[in-house]
Amino acid sequence: MTAILSNTQLRDLGSTPRKLTAGLPPATVLLSFAVVLVVILWSLVPGLFTSLSPVTGDTASKLAAPSAAHWFGTDYLGRDQYARVVHGTASSVTSALVAVLIGLVIGSIIGLASGFRGGWVDAVLGRFVDVLLAIPGFLLAVVIVSSLGFQTINAAIATGVSAVAVFARLMRAEVMRVRGATYVEASYLQGGNRLHALLGHVLPNAYRSVLVLAVLQFGTSILIIASLAFLGYGDPPPASDWGLLVASGKTYVTAPWLVYAPALVIVTTVLSVNRISRWLRNAK
Amino acid sequence: MTSDYRRFALTRAGQAIVVVLLAYVFTFLIISVLPGDAITNTLRDPQHGLSEEDIQRIVAFYGLDQPVIVQLLLSLGRFLTGELGFSLQSNLPVSQIVGDALPSTLTLATTALLIAIIFAVAIAYGAQYLPGKWAAIVRSIPSFFLSVPNFVIGLILIEFFAFRLHSFTTTDPNSPVATLFAAITLAIPVSAPLAEVLIASLDHESRQEYALVARSRGLSEARLFAKHLVKPSALPSVAMVALIVGELLGGSVITETIFGRDGIGTVVQKAVTGEDQPVLQAVVSLSAVVFVAVNLVADLASPLLDPRVKLRETKLREKVGA
Amino acid sequence: MKTRKDTNVSADLLTVEGLSIAYGPTAVVHDVSFSLAQGESLALIGESGSGKSTIAKAILRLLPHSEATATGRVALNGRDVLGLPERQFRPLRGRELGFIPQDPASALNPVRTIGAQAHEAAALLGETDPAVRRGKILDVLEQVGLPDPVRVYDSYPHQLSGGMLQRVLIALTVLPRPSLIVADEPTSALDVTVQKLILDMLTELRQELDISLLLITHDLAIAAERADSLVVLKDGAVQESGSSWDIFTAPQTDYARSLQADVPALHPDRYRAQRTVFAAEPTHDVVSRPAAVASRSTGLQIDVQGVTKRFSAGGKDVLACDGVSFAVERGRTHALVGESGSGKTTAVRLLLGLEQPDSGRISVAGQSTSGRSRAEVRDIRRHLQLVYQNPFTSLDPTWPVGRIVREPLDQFGVGTKPERARRVEEALASVGLPTDVASRRPAHLSGGQRQRVAIARALVVRPDVVVLDEPTSALDVSVQAGILELLSKLQRELGLTYLFVSHDLALVRQVADTVSVLRKGQVVEAGAVEDIFSRPQHTYTRALLDSIPLATPAAALGGIAAEAKQPAKATA
Repeated sequence: MTAILSNTQLRDLGSTPRKLTAGLPPATVLLSFAVVLVVILWSLVPGLFTSLSPVTGDTASKLAAPSAAHWFGTDYLGRDQYARVVHGTASSVTSALVAVLIGLVIGSIIGLASGFRGGWVDAVLGRFVDVLLAIPGFLLAVVIVSSLGFQTINAAIATGVSAVAVFARLMRAEVMRVRGATYVEASYLQGGNRLHALLGHVLPNAYRSVLVLAVLQFGTSILIIASLAFLGYGDPPPASDWGLLVASGKTYVTAPWLVYAPALVIVTTVLSVNRISRWLRNAK
Repeated sequence: MTSDYRRFALTRAGQAIVVVLLAYVFTFLIISVLPGDAITNTLRDPQHGLSEEDIQRIVAFYGLDQPVIVQLLLSLGRFLTGELGFSLQSNLPVSQIVGDALPSTLTLATTALLIAIIFAVAIAYGAQYLPGKWAAIVRSIPSFFLSVPNFVIGLILIEFFAFRLHSFTTTDPNSPVATLFAAITLAIPVSAPLAEVLIASLDHESRQEYALVARSRGLSEARLFAKHLVKPSALPSVAMVALIVGELLGGSVITETIFGRDGIGTVVQKAVTGEDQPVLQAVVSLSAVVFVAVNLVADLASPLLDPRVKLRETKLREKVGA
Repeated sequence: MKTRKDTNVSADLLTVEGLSIAYGPTAVVHDVSFSLAQGESLALIGESGSGKSTIAKAILRLLPHSEATATGRVALNGRDVLGLPERQFRPLRGRELGFIPQDPASALNPVRTIGAQAHEAAALLGETDPAVRRGKILDVLEQVGLPDPVRVYDSYPHQLSGGMLQRVLIALTVLPRPSLIVADEPTSALDVTVQKLILDMLTELRQELDISLLLITHDLAIAAERADSLVVLKDGAVQESGSSWDIFTAPQTDYARSLQADVPALHPDRYRAQRTVFAAEPTHDVVSRPAAVASRSTGLQIDVQGVTKRFSAGGKDVLACDGVSFAVERGRTHALVGESGSGKTTAVRLLLGLEQPDSGRISVAGQSTSGRSRAEVRDIRRHLQLVYQNPFTSLDPTWPVGRIVREPLDQFGVGTKPERARRVEEALASVGLPTDVASRRPAHLSGGQRQRVAIARALVVRPDVVVLDEPTSALDVSVQAGILELLSKLQRELGLTYLFVSHDLALVRQVADTVSVLRKGQVVEAGAVEDIFSRPQHTYTRALLDSIPLATPAAALGGIAAEAKQPAKATA
């Protein structure tokens, strides 16, 4: 059936020119961007948001409920919980960024090579990716952190390594999809070589989905790093990684805000990131 | 069994074995090689209270005074024969430690898997057949599930159902109700990708031309779902279930800790704090084996679920006539 | 629009009155009315966006509920069905109203056997015994001309060819003996010879079982040949309606007239004047291309001799090209005609150097392309360009049009930057596109515009030979004419040699000087276009010619007149 395409379907696509997306994104997306912006600012310039110290507190006012003076209440040492959350953002969020970058860069290179070259390169690289997939992500992260040392930066590296497989698979699939496109073949007929096809056509058409995944993985990495911190595998106290805050807070049953405040921050941040990712995916 | 299928099965099985072996090596590199002389340091740690002869015996057993390659081969050889070594902390055979912890984790994992499937199917069905506004809300549930860390879910469930409603107590983690809640905690993040695959699959199949044609024959939506939409959705769903197995194993580390259960997850926790490399190596490698095995089964089942699955590279399709 | 004739409404099987359909706020169908009597056939003709498919689906009430609203009246045997609750309407589907879809390959569930799905249709007969049902299914499969019904019963859809699948679908649709069948472009996805067989079979069945037909199509020729009355649609509104004979011989509206003018079979000499003119004049572009001088003496721009190519895939061997030979003189248009599996696509790919032939010689503009290194083939490509069939996939969606057209210049390193920009402008102008198109992306252009961009891209390096692979089959008929017009003009101005690949013999007659007819990898007949059409030698060529709807207008019109014993009633 090479000669005859599904004519009507093609015609239907062709006659209505695509509407340019008008106006702003929906409200939830704008809100999500705002949240993410605030979180990023917390990690870059925490001092801007709170003048209180995350490490020293006034034991007289320990375990106080949330009030105007202490938005998230105080912990068992009288430290302002809000300040602790804000100052803990840097390691919770920047580390997630590092993790995504590791996964994105390494995974994309592997996926590109696999998808574009195919053959034995694909077979060999495919097995490595399979290995990374075969070991449960969280378990792998735990093991890497235990080998490298209990620091949040190592947690980031660990999370990144377990994300490589996901990026590699997607990039490979996208590259293979684009590689077979007619316009890629056309570029060969127009005197282009393989490198030109790869950089000029394949990459620009493949990176979109990978970008959407990167945003999604950013959210996932925040969760994984928080989980690692919760188990005590991140920076030790007095660091205030979000996960660590939840862990240390849970022993104080009379002060539930110690758990709920950081938990809420985590959930809100990741929800916003996921919303942005979904919006990007639908806006393609 | 056609010869095509046999070839396909053998190739996949071969690949599976290669992956398991590579996974073992990779884990070994991370656990034993990366930290440098970690094992020897652990052994010499006075906390463990090992005598010099004990230390020497262990060194000889693991070949710690030999080059890395030898250690690796020793270790790998033993693994293949089912000999998993001895815990550095407790001196018990690793196989015993794992064996003791396994039932708890198995119960938790299988219950969680069942709950995840139920959640996913309910969400997918709701997304397809509920009226507009409700369907949109249901569709955003998976995304929400993926935004809450499982330790938060666990803590909340414990707070409400254990402390407030007294449905179970944290002192008896193995009671059915406690297990149920632990399973729910584990199931929630895991059900999200499965729900998304099902939704996408049902959406896709529902829009296919053949669904339209079937409807033109007077099929009701319910019958359409049962007879036409379920089967093509089976393949990607089964593949996703196989992938989820890994998530279940990973998530059990936290869930068991929170609920105070004595499963593999807790074993891993202890091994990490105690720097008990043989235990870690064994658990991670076994997880990889389980994952690879489950996915192999799913792969082998795929031609049965979808007759279009190509067993090998064919440019032409067999035609019955013209 | 034609005036309303007196109609006896209750005798009509299907009456549509003032039907309007909207997707949300956008109206896609405006106040459409027509009617169909028992045993008659009516065709809804229109191009894309005309709303014809939407109307068909509305009659079957298969529009997606949440998005579409339909108002007006649709009456089946006098009873309004548009307003019926779903539960009361559903029993009508299949039993009273049948549906034949466009693409048979996707119209059946791929993971279930034909037989399993056939039982759904058989269930509508009210028969509960599965053995009896199976018997009835096998009977109807035989009735539609399938040679081995049992084998088909046990097969999966992907194991059957398009033609067979469509027969199966027709069988399943007629099995419950509906009074009306709605056929949505039932043959557009099929090869031309198969198309004729299917339509013939459908006509026979209709006459045997007294089933009415509502035919949806974009092809005026097919509609005129197979339907008693026509309704011409454009942008969701009725332009003209009446008996096929009336509209066909004397279209009243401009739109209907232009549709008629664009039917290739009716105007075989449309572009001939332009081509003949060229043959008398030499062009002035020749001097700048020394390579062409050598071939000019022999006159052959394309010379393919005894080319063979075999593909082996998973143990199966396919002889895609078997001793294919053809030659094209400078400035001429040669057509390769064939259906799927004929080898014409492979021949083109061999010519372009995308594959290497197993044996035989290929030379373009005097230079051999076979047995060369990749770099050498690349150089030859400067003289040889291709316009793809599908303008929606042959342009990189992320590139602006200007860059797309400039790509060959960039890659072949032609001229300086400003020169390239100038040539891109020229190329866009010569294909009739405004210069501001250069900064836009393909997604914002229509199919016809995109194909013009593809042509501009092909011409910007000033090739000697342009291969046109079904350049208009993905486009609407009215757009098609514009593109062919353009191609003829360019050929004349630039002295191009064309290799035109097509499955449509009527189209080929309009545009080509010589033609090779391919079947299963072999050239079964070749020669000048007039010879092939007036004195076809090979049986396959004759079959191809026969399958052109209205190939011999007199005979076809005679056929329509014979059928028009009682012209179907048309309403404004």
